[in-house]
Amino acid sequence: MRSRTGLVTLVIFVLVGAVACTHDTVDTSGLPAASPAAGDDATSTPVTTAAAGAAPKASPEQLQAQFDQLLGRHALLAVRLMRSVVMAAPDFRQAAVASLQENTDALRQLVGSAYGSTQGERFQQLWQRRADDLFSYANGVAADDASAQQSARAALMADADAYGSWLAGASKGRARASDGAAGARTNVEELMQQLDAYAAHDYNKAYQIEREAYEHMFTAGAPLAKASVTTKAAAGLDSPPNKLRSAFAMLLGEHMELIIDAQRATFAGSPEFKAVGAQTNANSTALAQGLGAIVGPKKGAEFQSAWADHVTGLMAYSTAVAGKDQAAKDTAEQKLHSFAVTLAAYFSGVVRNQAAFVPLTGAVTAHDEHLIEQVNAYAVKDYARAQQMELHGYEQMLGVADTLVDAIQQTVKPGLPVGGSQTGGGGTARRP
Amino acid sequence: MITLSRRGLAAAVAALALLASCSSSGAQQAGPSTTAAAHTTDGAASGLDAARGFQPVRNYQATPVPVRLEIPRIHVASPLERLGRAADGTVEVPSRWEVAGWYALGPRPGDPGSAVILGHVDSKRGPAVFYRLRELRPGDEIDITRADRSSARFVVERTAMYDKRRFPTDEVYYPTLVPALRLVTCGGQFDFTTGHYRSNIIVFATIRT
Repeated sequence: MRSRTGLVTLVIFVLVGAVACTHDTVDTSGLPAASPAAGDDATSTPVTTAAAGAAPKASPEQLQAQFDQLLGRHALLAVRLMRSVVMAAPDFRQAAVASLQENTDALRQLVGSAYGSTQGERFQQLWQRRADDLFSYANGVAADDASAQQSARAALMADADAYGSWLAGASKGRARASDGAAGARTNVEELMQQLDAYAAHDYNKAYQIEREAYEHMFTAGAPLAKASVTTKAAAGLDSPPNKLRSAFAMLLGEHMELIIDAQRATFAGSPEFKAVGAQTNANSTALAQGLGAIVGPKKGAEFQSAWADHVTGLMAYSTAVAGKDQAAKDTAEQKLHSFAVTLAAYFSGVVRNQAAFVPLTGAVTAHDEHLIEQVNAYAVKDYARAQQMELHGYEQMLGVADTLVDAIQQTVKPGLPVGGSQTGGGGTARRP
Repeated sequence: MITLSRRGLAAAVAALALLASCSSSGAQQAGPSTTAAAHTTDGAASGLDAARGFQPVRNYQATPVPVRLEIPRIHVASPLERLGRAADGTVEVPSRWEVAGWYALGPRPGDPGSAVILGHVDSKRGPAVFYRLRELRPGDEIDITRADRSSARFVVERTAMYDKRRFPTDEVYYPTLVPALRLVTCGGQFDFTTGHYRSNIIVFATIRT
């Protein structure tokens, strides 16, 4: 029997550890002012730390995790930037552009650390052109200018092909140009399709494609990391623990981003919120099913219920902010705190009170604070700060995923069957 | 500050001019620029009302347990017994030669993760349920029927043989978030001293969506 109690214990310590690592960045009293300078956020990110060269060279697994993280966020930032053009939201667009630029800079550094600084610079040129062409496409959609859209589409496809050629060259043939180009083409197609749907008010389709674009871009981190290392080193990236880490990181990061989408859609129209809500639920289901397959259906169901409370609390706070109802905000915040305490107590009970209760409560609260501050900033149109909270929250969730898989490694693996199976009885099937 | 490239900056300026000239377009009714307006719009159409009515998914849909396996390509049709771990840490094997077994401490077929089904290759009398497992090739289909009569279809990715001393435990049993199926039986040389085969044949399959 697998040690499920042990796993839950470790998950708790993981969460505690994650908040301990990120708490400085979520302390609301110490938040930097709006419109952070480039690199301000990045100094707190593992990506920039590794890419800057001060830290020891990242392992292939760390490199992939960083590529996953940055590429996944790139897709979401591109989605939001493109929509801001259609929505006629210049203030938000400015914040989105700044975030996208910061993300591109971080990618340049990471590519530079993996492939060399010259390749980092070349990558940045390609990526910048891609961003420009996505922006041009959005302008074409906003203006209902079919010719402009067609031109931008052609440019984006050329960008994709150029990316494939660059990857093949930078990797010295480890990656095929056609593969790199195909992945890039798929992604830009998704980014254009989500915008077409959004502009046509088909929000269900727009948010569904948004998730697909995020997931495809997130998983593009593996080939990019693989192509930068030897075949032998790349083999580790296909290991089941590494794949699991990446999968949880993707889903937890997606949770954070969909909650932010939902918070922001509270200020939009009903159909848009409902579309985001549906995708938020789809993400919650994927998380619960994934955990349930590891810890068992009973605990999976318990997680699903606790997670629903978590989402309910966050949405109650968001609606209070959108409704400018201070009393409701206070109540919602109290409920969120109560939820954090309840969740901590729940986990402590599962592990027979052997987990530290207070730090666990803090871990849940830190996640809530990112989202509270995000919606507070968004409501007063402090979009730079809203984006900053989005970044910090996204990184915290990914940190949780990293260590969650470490916990699984330590607890689940010893419970797996040992060796092969004795599924033969007589030797009649043997071959000469 | 907008930091798109020079070409992008020009496009941004053009876009701002365009948007200033068509600020009443329908596409502009939602989003950040209308935050203040949203607070005073008709509640029936607002995201705020929709958010207040939002119901986070709460019910966990447990996948029913598998009860039957069919592999048309090699004419396998078998009920499934439940298997666990033996006292020595090895996986339990089916109690009957002609019946396959599902490792019930792992995922259920169709859930995220690798569901594992084991079957004997032979007995002292002759072939057993997974005698022809090694014949499976990429593209072959495997059907699972669950207790509620729902089904899941998997497609073979590859078939491989491993020395039991180097059994790929992680590839077979380690958690993943991708629905998959592993079929395991014996193969290779038979060791008459121990009465066991020296290798395992493993079929790796992914779910057909």
